Amino acid sequence: MNAGHATISIRGIEKSFGEITALRGVDLDVGRGEVVCVIGPSGCGKSTLLRVINWLQPPDAGRVYIDGEQVGETVDANGKVRSRPEREINAVRARVGMLFQDFNVWSNMSALENVVRPQVVVLQRTRVEAEAIALTLLERVGLADQVNQWPDSLSGGQLQRVAIARALAMDPIVMLLDEPTSSLDPELVGEVLAVLQELATGGMTMIVVTHELGFAKNVANRIIFMDEGRIVEDGPPEQILRAPKTERLKQFLDMLVHV
Amino acid sequence: MGLDYTIFIDYGPKILEGFRLTLIIVICAIFLGLPMGVLLAIGRMSSKLYFRGPSVVVLEVIRNTPFMIQIFLLYYVLPFYGVRLPAMLVGILALALFSSVYYAEIIRAGIAAVPRGQSESARAIGMSHSQSLRNVVFPQMWSIVLPPIANQTLSSVKESSILATITVSEMTMSALAVQGITFRPFEVFIMITLLYWLLNESIAFGVRHLEKYLQTRRGHRATTERTAVEVESSLEAARRMTR
Repeated sequence: MNAGHATISIRGIEKSFGEITALRGVDLDVGRGEVVCVIGPSGCGKSTLLRVINWLQPPDAGRVYIDGEQVGETVDANGKVRSRPEREINAVRARVGMLFQDFNVWSNMSALENVVRPQVVVLQRTRVEAEAIALTLLERVGLADQVNQWPDSLSGGQLQRVAIARALAMDPIVMLLDEPTSSLDPELVGEVLAVLQELATGGMTMIVVTHELGFAKNVANRIIFMDEGRIVEDGPPEQILRAPKTERLKQFLDMLVHV
Repeated sequence: MGLDYTIFIDYGPKILEGFRLTLIIVICAIFLGLPMGVLLAIGRMSSKLYFRGPSVVVLEVIRNTPFMIQIFLLYYVLPFYGVRLPAMLVGILALALFSSVYYAEIIRAGIAAVPRGQSESARAIGMSHSQSLRNVVFPQMWSIVLPPIANQTLSSVKESSILATITVSEMTMSALAVQGITFRPFEVFIMITLLYWLLNESIAFGVRHLEKYLQTRRGHRATTERTAVEVESSLEAARRMTR
């Protein structure tokens, strides 16, 4: 079992894409083993926030710390902020698992190879070792009989579970999940959520962008509501879902329930 | 005027000698040109100016000037600067360079045709840019770019006939020589037409099999074919504009 063990601190993150401002000063602390669900209307900046944390999208301003170490940048002796070399950024990404809405399982390799290859390439594990780890993890996500399948013959739910196994194989200290069930057929959502729930109970630190309020309610320690690039509300699930303080969150929840 | 069959017998061996040279030139040009094309494509897409700048210059200059002028420059002008290369070598290098810029454009389009999420997940898991290209993007790109690469290769075979102008004794050159001796252009050019045709058909045949092999190996994907057609048609349009 990969015990999650990292804290994340985000300070003053701002990010624009041309005219569009995605994040307007976001501060967030996530504790060890905490599961934080991020909800909010589309375009509120929640996906961008995840991509900033592992520096896939470097922010215009602000800092990210994982276990106290600054991601992407470093401050030199003269107090000047410098970009870290790519090698160091890659090393951080290797320990930060990420799941995508579209799974992004590599279509040029089998399910097994998807889990083996990054271990060999990034962590320099031997193939034998990597395969043993991959098979264990694929079995854990319920794909023991699908290991030799190619992505084009797997369902969405199976693909996302391959992606979960692939991320876990890197021994992540935190997982970032970008709407992991949004492009799944309704009957496949359950199998993915079950695996994620098991991860959460196992103590993995997770930040989950999601529209699954049920999952958020059952699994999250905290829910964060974002709107227009800011964190509007932050609290335990009961409070956020049952007793929203702001009008905007109230409207957002009403909309989700009535649709 | 009837066909004089004795010409086929008497001068066939000389034409075949030229055919052999054409074959060598083309093979060398492909195997030099493809890696050069990959490098140019990567350079062109690089965010670093000292990679992108030179790549763009090479791409634009070679693509927008006639092949014949390029070989004249290499063969007749370089010796003034002390670089004197044998015609055959100049021919191979020029054809490789010429092909590589088209290969580069095809490869660039091929890389762009691989869904962004595929490379994004590779970067997110800690792979470097080149690791993500090698492990994820290139393997998915080859089956997409194979048809347009083949097309360009057929073009290069035909362009190789221009090397006759710098005295490389390839097939067209030997045909011109035989024609000069026999004054029988029809027989001579029929012969080399058939041989060029044979060469290109064989390449096309080989590529079709390679394509099938790549598809079965990675599991057949309908989207791959559609993307290949899209890439090819947009490249055709680009070529029409630049030629």
